[in-house]
Formats: sequence, structure tokens, C-alpha cells
Amino acid sequence: MTTAPTANGHLSSEPLTLDKSAIVDFAARFDPQPYHLDADAAEESIFGGLCASGWHIAALATRLISETLLQHGHPFVEMISVSQLNWSRPTFVDEQISVRIALVASLSESPIPDTHTQNLQVDVCNGDGAVVATMSATAAIAAEPTPGAPQ
Amino acid sequence: MSALYLRDRWFEDLPIGEFHVFGSHTFSELEIVEFAEAFDPRPQSTDPVQARLNHRQGLVASPWLITAMWMRKMVDYMEVYAQGVNDGRRNGAGVAINDLQWLDPVRPGHTVTYTYEIIAKPDRVIRQKWGMIRSRNEAFNQYGNKVMQFEIDILAERRP
Repeated sequence: MTTAPTANGHLSSEPLTLDKSAIVDFAARFDPQPYHLDADAAEESIFGGLCASGWHIAALATRLISETLLQHGHPFVEMISVSQLNWSRPTFVDEQISVRIALVASLSESPIPDTHTQNLQVDVCNGDGAVVATMSATAAIAAEPTPGAPQ
Repeated sequence: MSALYLRDRWFEDLPIGEFHVFGSHTFSELEIVEFAEAFDPRPQSTDPVQARLNHRQGLVASPWLITAMWMRKMVDYMEVYAQGVNDGRRNGAGVAINDLQWLDPVRPGHTVTYTYEIIAKPDRVIRQKWGMIRSRNEAFNQYGNKVMQFEIDILAERRP
């Protein structure tokens, strides 16, 4: 399912839900701090509740960006750089995230063969529409659209 | 107590210029594939055969696996020097990243070493309790090539 671009040219993804096991599983492997692992400890922490690692959010946002760009005829290959990434609020257990992408022209050369660059301004939103993270990124896009991808 | 524990120190005690090597990690094909399948699926990171024909001409780690491993190495490193903070009340949080670049692909068998240097203490106070530490973080492969860099602002507890 693809949502149509909005009037101001943004592309929006479908939401995905972060349940407790997903949050704890990522954290146990990559970010084993109490506020990502243990509900009681998290209540006493800076976040006030069990919440996802910011790196988990960044990886999942990239997954949503990739899927959304592909659906709109931009065959995403890889993230090259992120000039800015801000985590503005935690994502708690069973909250949803989705991305809203604005495409911004890029003049830089891609370091990856057979790709060109595309700048992206991304808002990661929760189920209430509140922004949980923003990302200014440069992505590599395949020079030739993937066969079969909708244009 | 003879050892100087990093987290015995407060925001005020952390000097600009302090440098640490968090450690090294050798990435296996299995963990590259598993990370990508779970979090950031892309053919160049999930399918060793198809990846040979791909833009990267072989399997490469998801960029976010390289940063996630930075986080793991930092937590492990800090645990060694931390005392009495395992309940998380003194754990700060990252709030912003600047200038994150992935400069060279990380492939199965590559060993990546992560370094950290405090470069600034921006004049910001959060909820009276937290100050901000800006660090430059770099990662190098076994050939000495830089594979990743970024700056991150992390909250550190101020002296009560």
C-alpha cells in the first residue's frame, strides 16, 4: 500500500508498531542501557518509561524511507550521509512510527557506482503525529529505476 | 578506591580533548545479514550472492549496523568504568547527531575500531539536571581507512 504524495510534495510511509520485544531485542544487542531494557528502571530514568533506542528508530526510519521511495519510483540503494539527526521525543512500547519525506535537490556526486544522490528531509512521527525524530540525509538512488517498480 | 571511574565524574569534570578508544569489532557475514533482515533490509546486505552483482560488488554492512555497534562499544566501555549506575538513573541520552558520514563499506571479516573525543561542551542546561557533551566519533577498518564519523550531543549529569 502506498499513500499518495501530499499536496506539498511530501511522501508518507505506512506506520509500523514497536512492541516491547522489538525494543528490548534491539537494545539487548546494541544499546543495553536500563531505560531500553527494563520497565521499572526506565520509570526512574531520564525518559520516564521503557523506550526504543534512537539507533533502532534511525534504522527503522531508513527501512520506511527505502520502501516509500521505491514505491514512488526512486530506487533507494543506501544512505550515504546524515548531516543532522535529532531525537526530539522517546518512542515508548506499542507506539507507532512513520516517516514523512520531502525530496530536496542534491548536487553532490555519489560515491557508489551507477547511482546519483538525493537529499531527503525526513520527519519521523508517532501515531499521534508528533515528531519523534528529524533527519537531513543524502541517499544514493539507482540510476535506472528498478524493473517493475511503479513510476 | 584506586581506579578513577568515568561516571564518578560529573558534567563539570569532563574535559574537552578527552579521548577514548571504545574497542574493536569484527563483523561476520551472519550478523550483517541478520541485522539487515531485521531492521534495514537491502539486497547488498541480505543476499551474499545477489550482492556480488550489486552496486557494492559484494556484501556490505547496513550503515546503521556500523553506528549501532558504536553504541554497543560505548555502552560496554562505559560499563567497565561505571559504578553504581546500572539502574539507569544517571544514564544520559543522545539528543542530536551532526555530520554523520559512512565513508567506506564494511564487509564480512572487517575489523572496525571506534574512537571518541570530547570536542565541546555547548552551553545548554536541560531540566536543571543535565549538561551537554559534544564528541567526535570515528571508526577505522583494519587497513586504517576511516569508515564512519559523526558528532553527537549527549546529556551528562551536572554536579548536584
